[in-house]
Amino acid sequence: MGVKTQLGKTYGVAPPVLSRPSQKKRGGLGTLLVLFFALFPAAAAAQTSSTSFADSVAQATTAREQQDVTRAIELYGQAVQLNPKWPEGWWYLGSLQYGAGSYSDARDALSRYIELTPSAGAAMAVRGLCEFETGEYSRSLKDIQSGLSLGAANQPRNEGILRYHEAQLLTRDGRFEEALRGYAYFAHAELVEPELPLAVGLAGLRNPLLPKEVHEQRDLYQATGDAALQWMAGDEKASSAFQDLFRRFPAVANLHYLWGYLMFATDPDESLAEFRRELEIARSNSAAQVMLAWGSLMRNHPFEALPYAKKAAQTEPSLPAAQLVFGRALLETGDTSGGTEHLEKALQLEPQNLETHLALAKAYSKSGREEDARRERLLCLQITQNETASGAHP
Amino acid sequence: MHILKALANSLFLIWVATALGQAPDGAACARCHAVQTQAQTAMGRALLTGANPTLQANPKLTVRKGTFTYTVETHGDASTYSVTDGARTLSLPIHWTFGVGAQTWVLEREGRLYESLVSYYPAIQGLDTTTGDERLKPSTLEDAMGRELKPGDSKDCFGCHATHSVVDGKLSLQALHPGVACEHCHVGSSTHLVDALQGVMDSAPPDLKKLGPEDIASFCGQCHRTWETVVRNRWRGEVNVRFQPYRLANSRCFSGTDPRIGCLACHDPHQDLVQQDASYDAKCLACHGSSTGSAVAARGAKTCPVAKENCVKCHMPKVTLPGGLMTFTDHQIRIVKAGDSYPN
Repeated sequence: MGVKTQLGKTYGVAPPVLSRPSQKKRGGLGTLLVLFFALFPAAAAAQTSSTSFADSVAQATTAREQQDVTRAIELYGQAVQLNPKWPEGWWYLGSLQYGAGSYSDARDALSRYIELTPSAGAAMAVRGLCEFETGEYSRSLKDIQSGLSLGAANQPRNEGILRYHEAQLLTRDGRFEEALRGYAYFAHAELVEPELPLAVGLAGLRNPLLPKEVHEQRDLYQATGDAALQWMAGDEKASSAFQDLFRRFPAVANLHYLWGYLMFATDPDESLAEFRRELEIARSNSAAQVMLAWGSLMRNHPFEALPYAKKAAQTEPSLPAAQLVFGRALLETGDTSGGTEHLEKALQLEPQNLETHLALAKAYSKSGREEDARRERLLCLQITQNETASGAHP
Repeated sequence: MHILKALANSLFLIWVATALGQAPDGAACARCHAVQTQAQTAMGRALLTGANPTLQANPKLTVRKGTFTYTVETHGDASTYSVTDGARTLSLPIHWTFGVGAQTWVLEREGRLYESLVSYYPAIQGLDTTTGDERLKPSTLEDAMGRELKPGDSKDCFGCHATHSVVDGKLSLQALHPGVACEHCHVGSSTHLVDALQGVMDSAPPDLKKLGPEDIASFCGQCHRTWETVVRNRWRGEVNVRFQPYRLANSRCFSGTDPRIGCLACHDPHQDLVQQDASYDAKCLACHGSSTGSAVAARGAKTCPVAKENCVKCHMPKVTLPGGLMTFTDHQIRIVKAGDSYPN
């Protein structure tokens, strides 16, 4: 099932703790234990004076060590009823329930654990995976991202599972470019997941669905994802794969956009040509309008950018990137106050976007708002503080 | 007689239009803008094609980097860049030299362009790793030769070091004029010149002096790198001291609207760089002088308790890049304290 099964096959080991459990073979306790002791190296039996609590803990531990999942869940449940402030008990209970496929119960137990241990990245990530299964997608994305930021990707398999789920959720949330950046991780990872190309194809063609929700045109999404993954892996055949797609699916929206988007950093001229081709197929494609505007801005052609940016902002005013390019185009063509207004809208829609802060720093600086400009510059530096360019400098 | 004069004017206009379309060198602009065109600035020599006097003076340069040995040999007007791993050797002619002091070469091989992985540095009168490429660890002879320039990269390189290098959005090595000529910054000069000869002044390029400090930093930053370009690309560490608009914008005193601070407040791009520290004092004292004028007071600019001259010596310290081959003036104006690390 999904990533977990394939990862298990790939590495020939028990499913990792963050993977979804097999419905047939429940357990994975060995791995759970590994993670537990990684998280709590000094964890010992419960420290309480209550004999019944100590008995429950001892019995629960025995059941867990004997891989008697059902009994262990029951006993850990009793133990945390006796001592609700015992964090390890909630962690064991939640992990075991997750392993047993009881996602709602696992989510609730892990929530109790997180209340007691707020910076527990692994617990947040596992709760996110539970929420993925229960269909609470917004919460799932938030938890998985929090887990990742707190170090839950502590081994390649876990990182793969989390990033795969994160990218699916970003796609479902309409954050297609972020999803594609997430999927780029898999271009070089030695992970086998049959639905990965389909998932990448959904992000590439900007369809906010999960792979399991796709019932039509699976071959289109699959082939598109394959071509995109080839490009991400640096395979020169990607170009011919896309040309083949254009022949097979000449009227499909977002296909030219995707190819242009992938090429944007390395061949901006060809990239812009692809965005124009996209607009011949789908005239109101806001994403293509945005990228054409952005490409023109990056080439220092703001007057060329302005009509595309304006159209994008009119068509899809809630799209942060549309507000960003329109604000930036206005700023660069001399309308500082108009530009600032749209940039501030973009910021409200997406507060952590570096490009918006960069543009606002310039807008405030141009209008003499020195302290605001300085604040924006500091925010830009904070956003990028842990990132350093790899490879060559100019 | 009248017809002859008209014919002469027409021929002159055709010559001007042709000359500007192919190789604007300032000679035509000098008729009206003599002061701006008289100096042979470093920017004007930012790209050299053909014979290379520096290499002629150093006819054989060699350096070993890891398992690769690089040699630049010059015979007459021709220079050759070679790299060998002991078993195989790649040799390419040097056609394009970038830079006036330190030199980096763009090489062409099988239709692709490469930035040489070693450069010439006056400080050692020899070769060493090209600044910015230190982190590259080539494993093959081809990789050791140079860093392949993607289409956007090569357009950027020639776009800054030459004029008319980009035609219809494409790099044109045939049409380019080496170095920064009038048309490079003053886009539309060609049209303006033709029109001006007929008394029409409407098509004059925008007056760049009228741009505010933020806009002029963006303008100069197209080549010298803007604040946002550096941040966007995460170019951290001493290496970004080379990007003056970025450093200047980090200064506490930088204002996007105050003409006393900005690229053109201190530098005239039509003249070569002034090297004497004292010559910049007046620029600093325009804000940090003893005057109690309202403009100065309003911005809270303090006077220096230590000195009133050679301000840049302390407040814009020289930074030597790792490796010690190149030194730049740090444009992040500040009070520098002993032991301070490089402010990123």
